[in-house]
Amino acid sequence: MSARNFRVAGQRLPRMDGIGKVTGKHVYAADFTLAGMLFGKILRSTRAHALIRRLDTSRAAAMPGVRAVITAADIPAVRFGQAVRDTTVFALDRVLFMGHPIAAVAAVSLEIAVQALAAIDVDYEDLPAVFDMEAALKSAVLVHPEWATYKALPIIARSGNISGRARIKAGDVEAAFAGAHRVYEHRFTTALQHPGYTEPRAAVADWDANGNVTVWTGTQLPFDTQNTLAEILDLPSSRVRVIVPGIGGGFGGKLRIGVEHFAALLARKTARPVRVITTSEEELTHSYPRQATVVTLKTGVDRDGHLLARQGRIVLDCGAYAGSGPATAAIALQVLAGPYKTAALALESFAVYTNKGTSGSFRGPAGPMANFAVESQMDMIAADLGLDPLEIRLRNIVHEGDRGPSGEVLRAVSIEECLRRAAAAIGWDDRKPAPGRGKGIACGWWMTTGGSSGVYVKINPDGSATLVSGAVEIGTGAITGASQILAEELSLDLADISVTGVDTQAAPYDYGAQGSRTAFSVGNACLAAAADLRRQMFAIAAAQLDAPVEAMVLRDKHVVAGDKSISIAEVARISRLSGGGLIAHGTAISPSPAYDPGRLENHPLPAWNTPSFHAHAVDLSVDPDTGTVDIHRYVVAQDVGFAINPTYIEGQIEGGVAQGIGQALSEEIVYQDGKVMNANLTDYKMPTALDVPDIESILVECASVAGPYGAKGVGEPPCIEPPAAIANAIAAATGFWLPSLPMTAEKIARELRARRK
Amino acid sequence: MSFDLHRPSSLAEAVALAGLFGPGARFIAGGTDVVIQINRGKIAPAHLIDISLLPGLAGIAATAEGYAIGPLTTYRTIERHAAFQGPLSALVEAAAVVGGHQVRNIATVGGNIVNASPAADFVPPLLTLDAVLDIAGPQGDRTVALRDFITGPGKTSLGAGELVTAIRFARLAANSATAFFKEGRRKAMEISVVCVAASLTLDASGTRCVSARLAVGAAGPTALRPERAEASLAGQAAGLTSFRDAGRLAAEASSPISDVRASADHRRHLVAVLVERALTRCAERIAGARP
Repeated sequence: MSARNFRVAGQRLPRMDGIGKVTGKHVYAADFTLAGMLFGKILRSTRAHALIRRLDTSRAAAMPGVRAVITAADIPAVRFGQAVRDTTVFALDRVLFMGHPIAAVAAVSLEIAVQALAAIDVDYEDLPAVFDMEAALKSAVLVHPEWATYKALPIIARSGNISGRARIKAGDVEAAFAGAHRVYEHRFTTALQHPGYTEPRAAVADWDANGNVTVWTGTQLPFDTQNTLAEILDLPSSRVRVIVPGIGGGFGGKLRIGVEHFAALLARKTARPVRVITTSEEELTHSYPRQATVVTLKTGVDRDGHLLARQGRIVLDCGAYAGSGPATAAIALQVLAGPYKTAALALESFAVYTNKGTSGSFRGPAGPMANFAVESQMDMIAADLGLDPLEIRLRNIVHEGDRGPSGEVLRAVSIEECLRRAAAAIGWDDRKPAPGRGKGIACGWWMTTGGSSGVYVKINPDGSATLVSGAVEIGTGAITGASQILAEELSLDLADISVTGVDTQAAPYDYGAQGSRTAFSVGNACLAAAADLRRQMFAIAAAQLDAPVEAMVLRDKHVVAGDKSISIAEVARISRLSGGGLIAHGTAISPSPAYDPGRLENHPLPAWNTPSFHAHAVDLSVDPDTGTVDIHRYVVAQDVGFAINPTYIEGQIEGGVAQGIGQALSEEIVYQDGKVMNANLTDYKMPTALDVPDIESILVECASVAGPYGAKGVGEPPCIEPPAAIANAIAAATGFWLPSLPMTAEKIARELRARRK
Repeated sequence: MSFDLHRPSSLAEAVALAGLFGPGARFIAGGTDVVIQINRGKIAPAHLIDISLLPGLAGIAATAEGYAIGPLTTYRTIERHAAFQGPLSALVEAAAVVGGHQVRNIATVGGNIVNASPAADFVPPLLTLDAVLDIAGPQGDRTVALRDFITGPGKTSLGAGELVTAIRFARLAANSATAFFKEGRRKAMEISVVCVAASLTLDASGTRCVSARLAVGAAGPTALRPERAEASLAGQAAGLTSFRDAGRLAAEASSPISDVRASADHRRHLVAVLVERALTRCAERIAGARP
């Protein structure tokens, strides 16, 4: 099938969940209500690191309307976690951060639940705490003194406050530095950023008479949530059913268990359904924001600006529990290498514990932090060598067949096209069009996360098809995209496809709405299911049409063999009479590319599947006195392999850039002595519609081998380059780089004044 | 939270209810501050007296000496008021940057004033107009200057049961203009890091300052009038030098705090920059309005 003949795939069709969402009919997790439902609230620590000397829930438990109060003493003693099993539902004898759950209450109203929290008595004895991630590397204060007893993935290297250390090494860095024309060293810092989903984390749990629990929740990973709940509840996973009614955004902040366990535990204790929803304050003190990092880069170049060697270190602040920190820090190493050829690499990541809220893997985890460092430094090097920033990149980028940082062979490499098209679109020839105005460019690469997907596809007797998937439509249009592929393969219209809701009890497994993989992987599973369905339909049609299977194709909702045809609907009806109906199980898995294990140490994601390439360019002005940045134009050239639905890819690009602009200029969860100073949406500054310009998307289509019709992962990359592109444009406008996110007007104004003196 | 909601049908009834319930009662109009304060546990009133439907307290009237703004007037109404689009445009500029569209459709000018936030955007332009407030209360009616009314962060001279009934100010002299500037971390839904209003009157030739009034928000416990800066302009040639000096004096007069939004140092710097800009904009406007 050639792209030119597509009827459904590649078309700008409206998304299947669109009307329900814009009319308010769509039910989100936070809307979900059951009769007799109780309201759960969580008591959280007011100390950053302290022993719990006394915890007395008796006054709260005795309050009218309170149905249950639970603490660590009331639940199975389980430690859970992804890379490191270090996490507990409630603080045990010690609180590890301000906001640490200590107890939970279920009451007949939210108001009574809140009042009951205030009636729980806690006496603390403060302990020395460690807040600074670099200090934590060597601190005598251990967030987890018992770390060595925790179970962890075998690949993870741990020690004290270090919950994970990984390395990528190639060549001889020291020798290369010794022979370099110049060597540059810089340090960059990035801040905690909340994913900013519209719907708070919400879950409703209900136990049936047989001791099975159903949880309705806005999770990105229903099967992972099912497993984690089973561990926490000490049940076989089949007795935990997770249903995702709808999800009001996630961006990686709803990958791991959020409030589901509190709802399930309270529901078990009360024998009533319980709903738990987070407040804005809870979101900003205890969710899974993008980790803060410190990145140091040392890069050696020859006199023409060719990269000879890079030594890089990223320290990533996990907060009190490892969460996704060890993997996120390791992923940063591929980003630190960049889409560049560098013979000698010595890259190292540290994920560290501190006495702060646990952070997580927000969209493109580690991508923007490491890219900010690499791409800022590329421009600094270009400036020092008198090279154009575009030119230094073109001299160093990878090309088809080059090796990536893990020694893998790179295919479908399009970074040059992305760079050239972004530069052309922004008007790179006139890079400093006016005083205080400048243009910046940044590029990068990213993976399409693997993991398997299964789908069931059923052909109905009216000729339509039902797609049963465990993949969550997180708002990207990914399920619409996969359905477009399915419709294409079955010669149906998109309107002929219906999708069932996500339910772990009925749906085949899916690795989840993460890592730019849903449309890619579910799309591939749909291809496989459609191939199976064609075989089934052709076998039935062969008898009906008296024609050989080899001559058959699907066309306009019919099985066609020469001048004979039979409708898909008729085939489906015949199948019901004879064979139980048409149904197929399609599966997909993306194998990891071959790589050189000798380059890697303790890396849980050693080589990237189906990498994508992208370049961003921005044109902005900096107010010479106030430091305020005003973005005029923003261009993204992103290689998507094949644009399954260009409209929703553009939506992904626009949303990702908006988040990137927030990270670049305004967003930061500010901690002071372990306390969040801006735990509200007044002082946590996400950009508004007025802060985000129209974003111009250029969809580059350099087909991949593994993706459906050549598609590549799309969702995460748009938020990776904005901080670097904006930093470089600020530098073009002002002459200096700010190595610290967010690049607030205050920081810029201070630097402008310092330089004026 | 729980409270009794009262909906008086007259001003007298509202004042009587407030007198009856005393400190346990709060007036509520748009609710854009009161509801947030309740939700964040900062206040817990037992009674909310909804004044949003009281007759005669919304709208803008031209008076013999100038204008009277009803306290229930929304920012949207201010933004669109034809008579404020000329020399009084600082009122429009300040109203247009309060919150976002939803907030401006419901939030009231009176609420912004009695809330007494040091960062209230609408207060500085009113201060430069020497606005006065008419107040009704259990002890009768009174009139107070806005600059005397706000006494500290969240504090006013409003007595128990008292209610602002009008905000009044005089027309500007000939050859006058106003301007408002605000700095924050984003362009909407933003609490000012610093905001500045200026009202400038030039002589008939349009070259020399006759008088200037300045007001600075979010750079002290209340919005302030930097009097030395104002005085420094009288009789001076209108231009960069005198405006910059005024900015410097205004910065010296301010006493900002450092908090999560900005450092005191940055705020002081912004005061100087914005005062200079506001005065420059006023002078441009006066020049632009001249035949």
